[in-house]
Amino acid sequence: MRRAITIILLIVSITVPFIAFDVLPVIGDPESAPNTHVSDYYIEHAIEECNSPNMVTAVIVDYRAFDTMFETTVMFLAGLSVVIILANRPKSRIPAPESLKRLRDTSGRPVYTTINKDVMISIIEPVILIYAMYVLFHGEISLGGGFQAGALIGMTYLLDIMVVGRKRPIFNLPKEKSAALAGIGPFIYALTGFVSMIGGGLYLEYNKMPVPVHQAELHSLGITAVEIGVTIGVAGTIITILNALTERISFDDDNN
Amino acid sequence: MMTTINAFLAAKGLYLLTLLLLSLGVAGVIVCNNYMKKLICMNVMQVAVIFFFLCLGQKDPGTIPVAMNEAVKAAEYINPLPHGLMLTAIVVSLGTTGVGLSLLLRIREKYGTIEEDDLLKKQAQQARRDKKRRELHHPGDSE
Repeated sequence: MRRAITIILLIVSITVPFIAFDVLPVIGDPESAPNTHVSDYYIEHAIEECNSPNMVTAVIVDYRAFDTMFETTVMFLAGLSVVIILANRPKSRIPAPESLKRLRDTSGRPVYTTINKDVMISIIEPVILIYAMYVLFHGEISLGGGFQAGALIGMTYLLDIMVVGRKRPIFNLPKEKSAALAGIGPFIYALTGFVSMIGGGLYLEYNKMPVPVHQAELHSLGITAVEIGVTIGVAGTIITILNALTERISFDDDNN
Repeated sequence: MMTTINAFLAAKGLYLLTLLLLSLGVAGVIVCNNYMKKLICMNVMQVAVIFFFLCLGQKDPGTIPVAMNEAVKAAEYINPLPHGLMLTAIVVSLGTTGVGLSLLLRIREKYGTIEEDDLLKKQAQQARRDKKRRELHHPGDSE
């Protein structure tokens, strides 16, 4: 029965749009509806209005900055809800006796040492972090932005705690601190908006910020401040989710 | 005949693949018995939606939306709007996956399984046990 429904749904969802395909524009058509109207305005005015050659950054943190602020807040709330869902006391685990633990190191498959685990991770993690900083601060000039930089930092942490046999992580963030860090990100974002209100502008109107630099530089400054907030928020959220999940699951080679 | 099919596939073939991916995700969510697999299928659906939006943003002679020189013409660059929207959608999908995983962890801790039929069986058992206990403690007070 379930499979029959699925097959009917499959056929409907493929064939009906297939018949009614004239609704969808031709791929690559410069005159199609999504590629005209507001899109042309964004492309042609991004440099003079936002001082940002990367139009994607101009759209998400300048034209639609208010939207992105709440996206970051949604991210933070997701991390917070993971912490709250897993906030109860886990079922008690009976720790293995000391004799078994010692046995574990020598029995079974040999504990192999690879160049990946011992050498490459220590070399490659700082490189990834430098790349994340590059992506963050070049976000409005070339390709990049706050979300990508935050994801890179979070993935560095994931790489660090997932590699077997590392005793000391490269940066240590317990779950209380990482949840607070995830909250700092949206706070920096919102604060940038209030700074531009102090200068007499609207919320998140970067060129009214009371900072003594050239008028065109103010937009770059505002975008960078906002991107730093997004980076901290996203990285903090990823680390919070990882911490909350890894605390509750147990692996075979855990030392407890 | 061949040329019409070719022209059609060149113009709109990517939509077909995207719809196939979307319906695969939907089928997985309905058919799969394991909640973890359902979550993975939900992610596949999200990826299909992202592909769909990126198809809409394509322009034929266009390049990446980073301005190369001072004079910018709109026909030379692809549409930045779907890219911006999907960038945030990817990150938010990461958050939803995290929440889904934590819910799965709680279900696993409470019922000892994440298979749907096992879970329903255990829930029915628990309901029966609760009812029996209520009748034991408050006799004559039947619903």
